[in-house]
Amino acid sequence: MDFIVEYYFDFDLMWQEHGAILEGFWFTLKLSIFSGVLSLIWGLALAVLRQLPGPAFAPVRWVTIGYIDVFRGIPLLLVLLLVSGSLSAFAAPTQEIIPREVGIPTWLGQPSPFWYGVIALTITYGAYMAEVYRAGIEAVPPGQTQAARSLGMSHGQAMRYVIVPQAVRKVIPPLLNDFIALTKDTSLVSVLGLVEVVQAGRDIQSEFFNGSGLVAGAILFILLTIPLARLVDWLIARQQRHGGSRGGDEGGEASTGLPTPQPSAGAA
Amino acid sequence: MLKLDDVKKSFGATQVLRGIDLSVQRGEVVCVIGPSGSGKSTLLRCINLLEPPDSGRVLLEGKEITGRATADELDYVRRRVGMVFQHLNLFQHKSALENVCLAQEKVLGRSREESRTKAEALLDRVGLSDKLNHYPEQLSGGQQQRVGIARALAMDPHVMLFDEVTSALDPELIKEVLDVMRELAAEGMTMVVVTHEMGFAREVATNVSFMDEGVVVEAGPPAEVLESPRNERTKRFLGLVLER
Repeated sequence: MDFIVEYYFDFDLMWQEHGAILEGFWFTLKLSIFSGVLSLIWGLALAVLRQLPGPAFAPVRWVTIGYIDVFRGIPLLLVLLLVSGSLSAFAAPTQEIIPREVGIPTWLGQPSPFWYGVIALTITYGAYMAEVYRAGIEAVPPGQTQAARSLGMSHGQAMRYVIVPQAVRKVIPPLLNDFIALTKDTSLVSVLGLVEVVQAGRDIQSEFFNGSGLVAGAILFILLTIPLARLVDWLIARQQRHGGSRGGDEGGEASTGLPTPQPSAGAA
Repeated sequence: MLKLDDVKKSFGATQVLRGIDLSVQRGEVVCVIGPSGSGKSTLLRCINLLEPPDSGRVLLEGKEITGRATADELDYVRRRVGMVFQHLNLFQHKSALENVCLAQEKVLGRSREESRTKAEALLDRVGLSDKLNHYPEQLSGGQQQRVGIARALAMDPHVMLFDEVTSALDPELIKEVLDVMRELAAEGMTMVVVTHEMGFAREVATNVSFMDEGVVVEAGPPAEVLESPRNERTKRFLGLVLER
């Protein structure tokens, strides 16, 4: 028992090395935020492309479905290795398929493994989020589309002003869950040499033969993810109270209790 | 104003419309009655091209709108034809006022002020001027339906289609919606109303058409069709509906 405390809960060591640990965690946060925001946007774009109607857009739909299937089917680790390997190789002086600034990016002062990480995470999580958005879009009752089209809106206008706003509100909890998963998967970028928080912990372990750096990393992750998880719970509870749609601004006058025929949360 | 010529529509193997002929003059109110499954809703959807007909012609103000259904044609139709639905279909994430303004701004390109003024006037006309900022979930079914009517009217349609708009409402809420429709008719709006409200049809309709299994079985002035129907099927249907 003493050994466990000594080896994993050496708070003095954690404090001593807190600089390296926090530096690593700072990378974790940057990766999470960049990749998270980009995947949310990319996922929505994919979901919209997947829904484009009509025979003319069939190729677009097929390519999008293919993309989503592939990147939900390959381990993120593989995608990371393929992205970093290929981009750096294509930019190598001997190949010159793509310019060096694109293949070995150091934008905003971040090292290239960071950007390979962002690219791989966005490519992969975009695919997952696209499916979440799709579920949201399909949960919006068809009557909404019919009403919008009857009023003369084009498919694009109906999507933009009626369907997508309602769909996104419905799926904020699962999107947040995917974001939480993403923050943890940032640790995989360590295989590209980026010293994010897990790698920082491992470096401390090899230097001091003590695993407390890892535990420190775990604590930091928990501090990040638990509030997010509670936020998800709160959002779900709030959604259920308001019947799945946005609550009104006027005086909190509750629905008169008369049955309204078309609840927006469930399918009719 | 509106003419349907031998319109047919199938969904997969089921033929829902087997050749509909219908004619609506400007200012007329045509009520379509019939049992469920007779194709009444499909008929309305063929008029505003939510469901393009498989064959036959639909003429709107003399212009044929079937056949090609390009984006421009869909546009032409939907700006002249307004539709109100049985299941309300108000935009849940927008207030009553926003519901009535949205299509005005995005489809007709009206300015925010212009749409707002018009929206407020229409919501006042349907008796909801105190509920402008309420969201659909805060309104009763009857109130939501009146917003739906205002929303369709905001587009200045030439024809209004009503798809069983009171069928999903609690009985005590039906009258307020029918009153709005009565006023609309009195003001000369051309209307095609699918309904089960025989009293309304008797009072307001210029013409009543009885549909069964995809065809118009009998049509004529309300006094004739509703009180002395000639066709057996019409008699049977009315017997079921009027004697509850």
